[in-house]
Formats: sequence, structure tokens, C-alpha cells
Amino acid sequence: MSRSARYRHALWILTVRDLRVRYSTSALGYVWSILDPLVMSGIYWFVFTQVFRRDVGEEPYIVFLLAALLPWMWFTGSVSDSTRAFLREAKLVRSTTIPRTIWVNRIVLSKGIEFLAALPVLAAFAIFSGAQVNLDIVLFPLAIVIQAVLTIGLCLIVAPLVVFFRDLERAVKLVLRFMFYATPIIYSTTALPDRIEPFAAFNPLSGIFALYRSAFFPQELNWHLVGVSAAMSTVILAVGLLVFKRCERSVLKEI
Amino acid sequence: MPTGNATAARPAISVADAGIRFRRNRGGRRSFKDLFAGRDRRSKPGEFWPLRHISFDVAPGEAIGVVGRNGQGKSTLLKLVAGVVLPDEGTIGVHEGVAPLIEITGGFVNDLTVRDNVYLTAGLHGMSRREIDGRFDDIIAFAEIADFVDTPYKHLSSGMKVRIAFAVIAQLEEPIILVDEVLAVGDRAFREKCYRRIEELLDGGRTLFFVSHNEKDLRRFCTRGLYLDKGALVLDAPIDDVLDRYNADYNS
Repeated sequence: MSRSARYRHALWILTVRDLRVRYSTSALGYVWSILDPLVMSGIYWFVFTQVFRRDVGEEPYIVFLLAALLPWMWFTGSVSDSTRAFLREAKLVRSTTIPRTIWVNRIVLSKGIEFLAALPVLAAFAIFSGAQVNLDIVLFPLAIVIQAVLTIGLCLIVAPLVVFFRDLERAVKLVLRFMFYATPIIYSTTALPDRIEPFAAFNPLSGIFALYRSAFFPQELNWHLVGVSAAMSTVILAVGLLVFKRCERSVLKEI
Repeated sequence: MPTGNATAARPAISVADAGIRFRRNRGGRRSFKDLFAGRDRRSKPGEFWPLRHISFDVAPGEAIGVVGRNGQGKSTLLKLVAGVVLPDEGTIGVHEGVAPLIEITGGFVNDLTVRDNVYLTAGLHGMSRREIDGRFDDIIAFAEIADFVDTPYKHLSSGMKVRIAFAVIAQLEEPIILVDEVLAVGDRAFREKCYRRIEELLDGGRTLFFVSHNEKDLRRFCTRGLYLDKGALVLDAPIDDVLDRYNADYNS
């Protein structure tokens, strides 16, 4: 087998193992991976359409919400799991020589597969609530690619550093919780005050979520946001690869 | 070296001036600056070199035994050759595939069945699905756990766990085998079976790298010995000479 074939082979084996372990130990299996975003969006839908008078977001709000909440689950799940990428599998990492980036990438991949598997939920809500799908839906794969680049980059930074700084594990969880509100998920970038809006682009998720949403709400598409987010994601991936390479040697000794 | 072409002359393993550094205070304070300062060669306080300036070549088909007291770097050397840790100095060239019998049960997942686990572990060591299909029965027969193929791994006894793990690695078609003291576990009959399998592999022209405290085992498998003491390679000679020297140093 060639190097890249071996890489893909090992990556795939570990990804399938992740998914199989997750589903073999729970009775509800697949349902869990969609239940979480469903409950969350149910809560936000109730709070923002039934309790508060809402002037942010688009109609139907549930579709607006899910179009960002599902990819957010992929992002947050990957980053928070990457804090345990080496620690949880320490024995296996110590006994195999597969390229070490696989330990990170398989997390992003398995969470990504769960994300794809949850998309029918979005489709179902779009149909029931009568949301209009437009041609921008062809941008969906582009959004997935940029998000994968960003997520892999961040996970490559977080995973090895947590081995040295255990505190980082909790810090990451805290930052992610902050990020949830700092990212246009329950609102849209356009709803931000004028003073803050220019800075929204520096959250790479803004552009990515705008791309996802444009499939139903073409006015959400903002190429400036997308461009900044693609550029930042690429830079973050480059930094991630660098950090990972620098830390690899020490990580192997430490675990 | 017999007359031959370039491939015959090429060593299976070549270690040149290799060294690895650990910090003594594990989990000690590390600054971000440390990470980005690059590898500097100065030895800082609190650091030590479990192995340093190690050089040797292993020809294909050789059987090497590593000898030394506890904490003299034997296992670290094995891990370096296996590629599961990386050297801070020098180079370690391993030119053929490796079947490492190190932490063999590490890849097994408690919640999955024995069957799933065999496919996972063998796959991670580079076997394709079809190859595993072809050898699955041999693996299970070797481990003597035919009745437990669809039992979750966590329900196996600890002896069975080691048996199945050994069976998987022993089926790998890799030209280099690394053996740490894993075989100290298991009952005597199974240990003997493992040893016969290793002999079989040796007869098939495999290269063996063996770490043990057991003099009898070392003499049984190995032709050449490496004697490690205080992180340095003290003697590289036929196994009998190495063991004699070791005994003279420590048992007198």
C-alpha cells in the first residue's frame, strides 16, 4: 500500500471504530446525534418566537437556527473531543506508528459524518415549514470544506497542547461556550450593532454559517465574510500543522 | 557480509548516534516559549538522557537480544526502533515493516466484540480486510478462543486478552519483529506456543529484536546481544559473550 492509501486506511478504521463504539453502547444510537441539536433548537425556538419578541434572524426561524446549529455541533464536538485525542487513546498511540495526525483527523471525520447524518433533519424541517430552497445550496460543499479546514487546524493546535497543559481542557470548554454566543447561530451577522459588525468577519465561523444559510436565505450570503473566513481557516490549518509537528516528539514521550 | 547486491547489504535497522531526552520532573512546568524555541541541544537541569550515542546496524534475518538492568534504556530502545517515540538526536532508520509486540492489548476496545477488535487491530497494523478474512480463523485458533468470537472483549479473562492480542500481531507478515517482555504473562503452555511461533518466524528469515531478563530465552532465540548500561551501548557482541559480561558485572 502507498503512504496515502495507508493513511486513509488507518483513518477510516479509527473513524468507523469511533462511530461503532458510540452506537454499540447506547440503545438510541443515531438518535442521540440528532437529539442534541433538536432539543437545543427547540429551546431557542420557544424562547425566541414564543416568549421574546424577536427581531433577529429569518423566517422560518427553526430552519434558520438549524442551518447553523448542526454545523456548530460538528465544530464544538470536534474541538472539545480533540482535547482528549491523545489521552483517551494513550495505549494505542504508544503501540502503533500510524501518522499521528490521524488521532486528530478521525475525530473531525467521525463528527463530520454525524453532521452529514443529521442533515435530513434540516431537510425535514425545511419541507414542513415551507422554507424556500434556492440555487445557493450548491455552496453547501464549499462550506463543509472550509469548516473542515478550520476545525482540523484548531484541533491540531489543541490536541497536543492539552497533553502539556491539562488546564487547557477546561479552558477550551469555556471558550466554546463563549463562542456559541459570539457566533451568528441564534442571530445573524446583520443583526449586530454597526460598531461590532466589521469584527464579525474575524470569527471564521461567521462566513461558514452564512454559506450554509444562503441555501434558504440568499440575503445571508456575504462574500466578504466568506473570503475572510476561508483565508483565516487556511492560516489556522498552517499554524496547526506547525504546532503539531513541533509538539509531536514531546507528546509521544509524555503520554 | 556475503557477496550480494545492494539490497542484501542494506541493513534492516540502522541506528546512528541516537539519543533521547526525558525530563525528570514529569508533567513539570512548561512554558509556551519552550514549545516554540525549537530543539536546542543543551541539556537543561531536570533533564536526562536514558539513551545517548547509540549506534548499531542490524542485518536482515539477525536475532538481537537486548540485555541490561532495569532502567538502563532497554524498552526505550525498543520503542525507538518501533517508531512509537522519536529520537532527539541522531537517526533511526528502519527499512522494513515492523510487527511490534509492545503493549499488545493497547488497541483493543472493551465494548466491541473479539471479531471487531481483531479487524480493528490488524487493520491498524496495515492488514487489508481481505487479508484479515483469510487469516481470521488462524488467529482465533491460535488464541484458542473460538467460543468467544462474538463476546465483548471486556468479558474475556486477562489470559485470553493477551492470547488474542499476541495471535493478531504474530500473524502480521512484517519482516521485523519486536518483542518486549509481554510473554511473561499467560500460562506456560501458551508461552511455549508463542515461543514456537517466534522460532517459526525466525526460520522464515525474519529479523528479531528481543528485550528480556530471561537468560534462557535470550540464548534460545538470539545470536547477537546488545548490552546497555547507564544509557550507553557498552557491548555489541555474540549473545553468549554479552551475557557473560553482564553476569560478571552484576552477579559477582
